[in-house]
Amino acid sequence: MSMLELRNVSKVYGEGTTEVDAISNIDLAVERGSLVAIMGPSGSGKSTLLTIAGSLEQPTTGDVMINGSNVVGMSRNDRARLRRRTIGYVFQDFNLLAGLTAVENVSLPLELDGISMKKARAQGMSALHELGLSDRAESFPDQLSGGERQRVAIARAVVGERSLLLADEPSGALDSVNGEAVMRMILTACHGGVAALVVTHDAKLASWADRVVFLRDGKAVDETLPPQRPEDLLSHDASNPSES
Amino acid sequence: MSLDSESLARRPSDGGVPARRAVTRWAWRLLRREWRQQSLVLALIAIAVAVTTVGVGVSTNTPLSPYVGFGNATDLATFSNYSTSTTAKIASWHQRFGATDVIENQSVTIPGSVEAFDLRSQNPHGPYGQPLLSLVSGHFPTNASQVAVTSGVATNFNLRVGSSWRELGVTRKVVGIVENPKNLLDEFALVNLGQVTSPNEVTVLFDASRIGKSSLGSNVITPASVAQNNVLNPQTISIVLVTMAMLLIGLVAIAGFTVIAQRRLRSIGMLGALGATDDHIKLVVRANGFFVGLVGAVLGFVVGFAAWLAYRPILQSSAHHVIGVFQLPWIVIVVAVVLAVAAAFFASTRPARAMTMISTVSALAGRPAPPKKLRRSAVPGIIFAVAAFFLLGAAGASGGNGIGPGEVVLGFVGLTVAVVLLSPFLLTVLDRFSRRAPLAIRMAMRDLARYRARSGSALGAISVGVLIAMVVIIASAARFGNVLDYAGPNVSSTQLLIYTPNGPYGPGGPGNSGNGGGGSSESIATMRRDAHDIAAALGSNKFVKLETTSATLQHAAPGRSYSGPLYVATPQLLKAFGIKMSTIKATTEILSMRPGFAGITKMQIVYGNYFANGGPNGAWPCPTSDCLANPSMQGTRALPAGTSAPNTVITEYAVHRLGLAPITSGWFVQTSTPFSAAQLTGARATAAADGLSIESKSTIPTSATIINWATLVGILLALGVLAMTIGLIRSETAADLRILSATGASTRTRRSLTAATAGALALVGAVVGTAAAYLAMVGFSRTSALDGLSSLGSVPVANLLAILIAMPLVASIVGWLAAWREPRGLSGQMIQ
Repeated sequence: MSMLELRNVSKVYGEGTTEVDAISNIDLAVERGSLVAIMGPSGSGKSTLLTIAGSLEQPTTGDVMINGSNVVGMSRNDRARLRRRTIGYVFQDFNLLAGLTAVENVSLPLELDGISMKKARAQGMSALHELGLSDRAESFPDQLSGGERQRVAIARAVVGERSLLLADEPSGALDSVNGEAVMRMILTACHGGVAALVVTHDAKLASWADRVVFLRDGKAVDETLPPQRPEDLLSHDASNPSES
Repeated sequence: MSLDSESLARRPSDGGVPARRAVTRWAWRLLRREWRQQSLVLALIAIAVAVTTVGVGVSTNTPLSPYVGFGNATDLATFSNYSTSTTAKIASWHQRFGATDVIENQSVTIPGSVEAFDLRSQNPHGPYGQPLLSLVSGHFPTNASQVAVTSGVATNFNLRVGSSWRELGVTRKVVGIVENPKNLLDEFALVNLGQVTSPNEVTVLFDASRIGKSSLGSNVITPASVAQNNVLNPQTISIVLVTMAMLLIGLVAIAGFTVIAQRRLRSIGMLGALGATDDHIKLVVRANGFFVGLVGAVLGFVVGFAAWLAYRPILQSSAHHVIGVFQLPWIVIVVAVVLAVAAAFFASTRPARAMTMISTVSALAGRPAPPKKLRRSAVPGIIFAVAAFFLLGAAGASGGNGIGPGEVVLGFVGLTVAVVLLSPFLLTVLDRFSRRAPLAIRMAMRDLARYRARSGSALGAISVGVLIAMVVIIASAARFGNVLDYAGPNVSSTQLLIYTPNGPYGPGGPGNSGNGGGGSSESIATMRRDAHDIAAALGSNKFVKLETTSATLQHAAPGRSYSGPLYVATPQLLKAFGIKMSTIKATTEILSMRPGFAGITKMQIVYGNYFANGGPNGAWPCPTSDCLANPSMQGTRALPAGTSAPNTVITEYAVHRLGLAPITSGWFVQTSTPFSAAQLTGARATAAADGLSIESKSTIPTSATIINWATLVGILLALGVLAMTIGLIRSETAADLRILSATGASTRTRRSLTAATAGALALVGAVVGTAAAYLAMVGFSRTSALDGLSSLGSVPVANLLAILIAMPLVASIVGWLAAWREPRGLSGQMIQ
């Protein structure tokens, strides 16, 4: 059973003359322990795909199966619970909560899920330790560097028993060294059994993935299987004239 | 490290207490980090609670509490003297209720003075009367030959502990100095029980709380019955005022919390992405509101209590009774604190709900919710306005019956609701009218209309602020503008009135009424000499004899009647105020500086036996035997303006025509510099020793003081709300601004946008607030027997112009100046 499975998923925004097909008839499966990268030009529907996969948005048609459960039709609270327990997000601009320390940020999803503060904190410390941030646990986000912030965000995304990691341009705001470090961490999480879906513009980082899916105008136009050189991915992506 | 299976199994589906604790902690941390962004709401709440703490402390402790006479008792009975039945009744109560405290008073006049003291017998250790008696020095009398006196009595009779004092034919030894801590003005001589031979007042204190009061007689009162007869007590008024203030603060806070929630939009989106439910997201915003209310209330209480501690000694000396450190109306303060927290909490519920309406994806992108469409109908607002109008009319009609507070409160609540409901509608009207205006103004009006869910509540807050200020202004102008029942300061700080016992207040001086009898020419000459000495000691440059007659003025029409003394326009008085006889018409009977007074119809001079013959009976014109209808009246600006000063005088022509006999009733003293407290104390002591009494400037504020303060507070409040709202609206339209800039619009256009937004909100708020205030006052006055619609004729033009024109102008100018830098768009803001 796939950790994430999108079956014929479409998303339409607007109505009538303002109607826009953000994604159309997407089929995608991400297995446990695998890393799938999504590439495509701006407006191709990458972020929409990620938000639908993460239950933040409902598809117009199709099914989204997460760990065997269909997200479509779930109540808002059930989807929130699913996100707390199963899904972790990593965003380009980190989205750490100001006012909470690094360890509090990491343990927050567990506390939201009803785990006591003490146990959640222990879990958070453990996750930070694994990412080499034990000594920065009590620092606030504005006291951390960009790379450290993203590592904290990854720790928050994988803390607890979560098994699906969704990342939207996780290295977009980082230099190449930190960007690669972030991808390495995501890959490490995958080796631990986490399924990861990563949206990126960076072909070099996409080459870390087990599989790369190309989107154009909301449609999956191709899939490539690694190992593959970044140059090949770049040349593949460059075939799209609207690439920014 | 992974979670144990037990922890996983016990997780509540909604996150339970740990989740709520986590989001509450985050809200608290954010408040600590970003309190400056909420400083306006925090400050408003803190000021409201601080002012309430000090205000109710002062207002409830300044006058003598109606409950002070009770001591520790729950019931108080008063008898004018002893009779057989009184003695029997007290004995039966003693038997029935276990214990009673009987306090006997015999009033004794201080020889050579208008003042009196009580010869009092009271058990100093009585179970109920103990709080009404304390020992300053010495000891309480223990036998018939001992007495303890208050310091006032000691001064008057030159007594000290150890002195021998003969009073009412009995010689006693002074063994102590005592006081009534509940009333330091209470002057008495305490003697042993049974030593007051002819009491003219007997007070019995007891506790009958276990039985029905109806069986005890009408002369028995309880704190509850006192409270019933004192509905408009300071506590009730304070609670009404603080409720109104918190309502207004709540409206301001809605806009403030909306701004904060918008600024935290991406963080809240992330919280949603992490799995927070709608309830958790609401809790974040509501917890912020709760904490803001709590912090503001606690801060306000601490500041208010500190101010109270600092002011208490001054209040104690001016209020003439001991005031304990914690002698505050705690119920009112607790209500104020609870209301502050509740107002902030409920103000946050609307933005909290709005946050859950924004999708997580939009929130993560920092995209605020699209403008919410509001119902444009003005009907609900109009219904509330009409209801408020009639409720206030009912209040005006019932004012004479002592009812009305309920209708007043309901009327103003209805009016506030009407203003809040009508505000969004008016924004759409404004948008419609501005369609042909220049681009910046047109865009500003359109934004206000588009974002009227927020700008409407801000406009409501501005309007309510202006409404309250305008009600105070209009009511003050109406009251102070009434030239018949003249209000305002009695005299200026450089003026003093010295009264003989014949003065307009009688032998007791100010505070009493009615003329005394005449006085021998010798005694008048003596008093004149003493008054002159007082004036000389004060450095007077004007010393004018004041004469009165039996005549006074009356208005033979419904409503307020004439108030104030009517002195005789003697040549000396006219000369002292620079009025030449040649400027007064030969047939003028009344001369007044009260503006418009000379034009009032249905005035009459009543004199002689007018009141003895039944007084006013509605007949017009009044009987000529002791009344002169439609006297000839003339205005002059030269007479002094104080309510106790000779602002209106009867001419010698009228005195001769009506056969009146002037008597010397006092002297008017004026100096070039204000009197010091020491000078006034000295003058008062000298006057008291000579049987005279003085009247100096009271603390009654002038009309201008009240109106100008109300105007200033109204304007500042409105501008404060504006400052917050403009920031929000301009932030939300930052993207439009960038597009505008990209298409070539200049800084001038951007500034015009902000200036137009601020100016329009201020103008509409000012117009709506003023209109609502006049609606309220017309509603009230049209049915009021005391102040009819004509009372609204005194229009405070300068203050109206300040609110209706200057305030929008200031708002526009500040908006123009503040918009020199393009605001950061929400989408461009970094969260951390």
